[in-house]
Amino acid sequence: MHTMPNSIQSSESNPDIILDVRKLRTSFRIAGEWHAAVRDISFTLRRNETLALVGESGCGKSVTALSVLDLVPSQNGRIEAEQIQFNGRNLLGLSEDEMREIRGNRISMIFQEPMTALNPVLSVGHQVAEALLYHRDMNKEEANRAALELLDQVKIPSASSRFKEYPHQFSGGMRQRVMIAMALACRPDIILADEPTTALDVTIQSQILALLGELKRDTGMSLIFITHNLGVVASIADRVAVMYAGNIVEIADVDSLFAHPTHPYTEALMRSIPRSDRDTETLHSIPGQVPPISRMPDGCRFAARCDLARPICRKLDPALQQINAGSTHEVACWVRGDHDLTAIEDRANG
Amino acid sequence: MTEKSENMPAPLSSSALFQEQVKRTFRSNKLTGLGAVIFLLVLLAAVFAPLLSTHDPLIQNILDRLEGPSAQFWMGTDAYGRDIYSRLLYGARISLTIGGVAILSAMVIGTAIGIIAGYYGGKVDDVIMQFNDILLAFPTLILGLIVVAMLGPSMQNMIIAISLTSIPGFARIARAPTIVVRERDFIEACRALGYRDWRIMVFHILPNVTSEVLVMASLWLATAIRTEASLSFIGLGVKPPAATWGGMIREGFENILDNPWLSIFPGLAILLVVFSLNLLGDGLRDAIDPKTRVD
Amino acid sequence: MKDHHAHLYRPSTDYSHTDAIGRHVDYLCPGAYCAWRSGTDYLGDQASAAALDAMRERLGLNRPLLEQYFEFMGNALSGDWGESMVTGKSILGEVINVLPYTLELTFVSVIFGVVTGIPLGIWSALHRNQLIDYFVRLMTLIGLSFPAFVSAILLLIIFSINLGWLPVISSGGRDDFIGWFRDLALPALTLGTIMTAYIARVTRSSMLDVLSEDYIRTARAKGVPNKVIIWHHALRNALIPVVTMVGLFLGVLVGNSVLTEIVFNRPGLGKLIVGALGQRDYTMLQGLMVCYAFIIIFINILTDLTYGLIDPRVKYQ
Repeated sequence: MHTMPNSIQSSESNPDIILDVRKLRTSFRIAGEWHAAVRDISFTLRRNETLALVGESGCGKSVTALSVLDLVPSQNGRIEAEQIQFNGRNLLGLSEDEMREIRGNRISMIFQEPMTALNPVLSVGHQVAEALLYHRDMNKEEANRAALELLDQVKIPSASSRFKEYPHQFSGGMRQRVMIAMALACRPDIILADEPTTALDVTIQSQILALLGELKRDTGMSLIFITHNLGVVASIADRVAVMYAGNIVEIADVDSLFAHPTHPYTEALMRSIPRSDRDTETLHSIPGQVPPISRMPDGCRFAARCDLARPICRKLDPALQQINAGSTHEVACWVRGDHDLTAIEDRANG
Repeated sequence: MTEKSENMPAPLSSSALFQEQVKRTFRSNKLTGLGAVIFLLVLLAAVFAPLLSTHDPLIQNILDRLEGPSAQFWMGTDAYGRDIYSRLLYGARISLTIGGVAILSAMVIGTAIGIIAGYYGGKVDDVIMQFNDILLAFPTLILGLIVVAMLGPSMQNMIIAISLTSIPGFARIARAPTIVVRERDFIEACRALGYRDWRIMVFHILPNVTSEVLVMASLWLATAIRTEASLSFIGLGVKPPAATWGGMIREGFENILDNPWLSIFPGLAILLVVFSLNLLGDGLRDAIDPKTRVD
Repeated sequence: MKDHHAHLYRPSTDYSHTDAIGRHVDYLCPGAYCAWRSGTDYLGDQASAAALDAMRERLGLNRPLLEQYFEFMGNALSGDWGESMVTGKSILGEVINVLPYTLELTFVSVIFGVVTGIPLGIWSALHRNQLIDYFVRLMTLIGLSFPAFVSAILLLIIFSINLGWLPVISSGGRDDFIGWFRDLALPALTLGTIMTAYIARVTRSSMLDVLSEDYIRTARAKGVPNKVIIWHHALRNALIPVVTMVGLFLGVLVGNSVLTEIVFNRPGLGKLIVGALGQRDYTMLQGLMVCYAFIIIFINILTDLTYGLIDPRVKYQ
């Protein structure tokens, strides 16, 4: 267990860190104006670690992942950051060709909707083999052979006979396995999995989660796992970052987070996990919704939905702070964080 | 932001939304406005043809035949010595009247057919739309040609022919939103309240159909004017000596080797009107299309 | 007149697609109506009842409508399209004589439109909202605003009269390639540019749709080079709606060939139909309608087959 807080860890001092994102801000242009969807977030990812990004829709989780790979649409999207350090190399300012060398090769991505994320007119085998064609020195035959092995590895039954079939001939779970095989093709250091199980039904979900866990163990890769479902997080993540309205509001090791959920939003998410050992009456939904990025309030963005909100919450935006000295558990909350509230409120009013 | 639910297409345009979109289009897309202005100018020229013309469009003057453009005859004269500029102005009246009346009546009839087919569904829909699709598959010009040939060339018959060729398109355009709206709860509520079908169709479905129908009307008015000109060119248009653009090209074509302007001026006139309407319709179509709508 | 209109509708129980078009064709040019018109046209308004009866007898119009209809469709399908009322020549023979001209014109125009329109559409889409895009959109909008006969005349003035590169009037020489090409060049360019305009616009919008699809992002996330994404991943998907539109525009093209054939004095279906209209040759018109119907059905079949080639989701039983 590292004793250093997340926010000041750096890859220079720690070769164990594969990805170090600092002050990432991704904005979109809406009706001629730029609005940040991700606001100055920082996080690190260690080798062979699974970091879960959790939050409701519209909290900036997917945008964060897309920003790492520079896949945000360039006409109306903009990525700014202090650094996006991958394996000691800053991805910011890399040329399109250099970035392409990394995409699908060193860092790859799995998308939410396996139906729309696969090209309907290209065969499944070809789509898996493609990454190998462009990143490995392989001819078509070799790439196809390797792709077939990958399909076997993700446990697609009778893969060789289905190699030439098209996405519409596969079930949802099988399509997601194809997506995983594609992401896995070049043995990447990091896989960014954007809600990979959300579109699937529960039994298939647990199969895919088990598969991802197994692959991570076998290949030593790191995983960023994006989900809105905290229930899934417990079974797969090592560390969790809870995102709300473009900010990380709480970040902690998974055990610590589940033992001491600190941010009111994390608590609310916890309460909304369906659990078999509790009464259905205790299952809560969070009232209200995430504000759209074009209409972000001042102060803490969760204040409007928060039972604990104080006047200060609507004025100043809290920063991430350790819940107690030396802890890796950090939270951004005036009320729950380690703050001298009266002093801050006095200063804000004075 | 990237989550799917927020990228869902907007719900069908109500007329207020349509007006808002149209306003925004005119502000953001200058070409749409240009199209509207050009068309308006042509419309005014047609209305005020008697004031704007310099000669009588029908009076022949053999002494002045096949003159080139000059101060007296701005666009020259034709083989009978008639002033081309004045004939163009009067030709605009015929083209716009035929096109306008034909599209207006096709719009009313076609929209009614489309709404009825979409609202009742089932067998009614099957029969109407099958017949509709066959008409739609047939080349407009050939269809128009046959109808005018059967009825005989006259202004009224041209309107009937062009209207006939445009009805299937309107029916198809009106049917699609009708089917969507039909399934909405408030229609069910209207039925439960015992509203008559025609009332539901006129007051609740029609407003949801109008924006798309109006946009297509501007595009199909362009087609209608082109068809009218083509039929006149073939010799099936309003009978001479009345000035029609297609007819003027047809007459000018006989002297194409020595006097190309006889064909060029009316040709450009048709092009200008059709182009302005396409410009207008194209911009409006983008405005109501959720996919191309500018954020 | 009212009585005659009463005969226009012919009920039929056969709902197959092919025959539906046939029925429609027949509806458009109904024998009874034709005979009524042709009777007065040929015999004059004062024609005696006996003379009209004789005419109806000759054309078989005194028999029940259903019987006439099935006989006509049966004959048409077995290759007997009857004879021209005016010249007495076999309609099928006349059609077969000119059909190659119309088909080669249509074919060359479509090829021209596809070869120029698709790259133009892609180019425009890739430069969305840039100067190139605005230029292409404006030019294509002008292109599809041209009535075919106006662009035909302009091309004729430029290339034949002013530049003198091509013949003003078709020489009809089909023996050598040069002569064939010189005859075909301007008519094909006329229709081809209209096709280019339509295809470029459809390709552009369909390409823009496809480029915003999730699977394009997947391909980018895989590190596929941009060129491959555009020409391999995106284009095949973008072509699906293009095929639909080409199929529809083929009909427009066949219609517009009437105009080019007149301007360039080229033989073809269009010339035949205008001639038949002028002479009120109703049996010929009826035959030509069947011919157009067959062409449209043929285009539809061709379109469906093309879908199968580019979209694996389309399967035929």
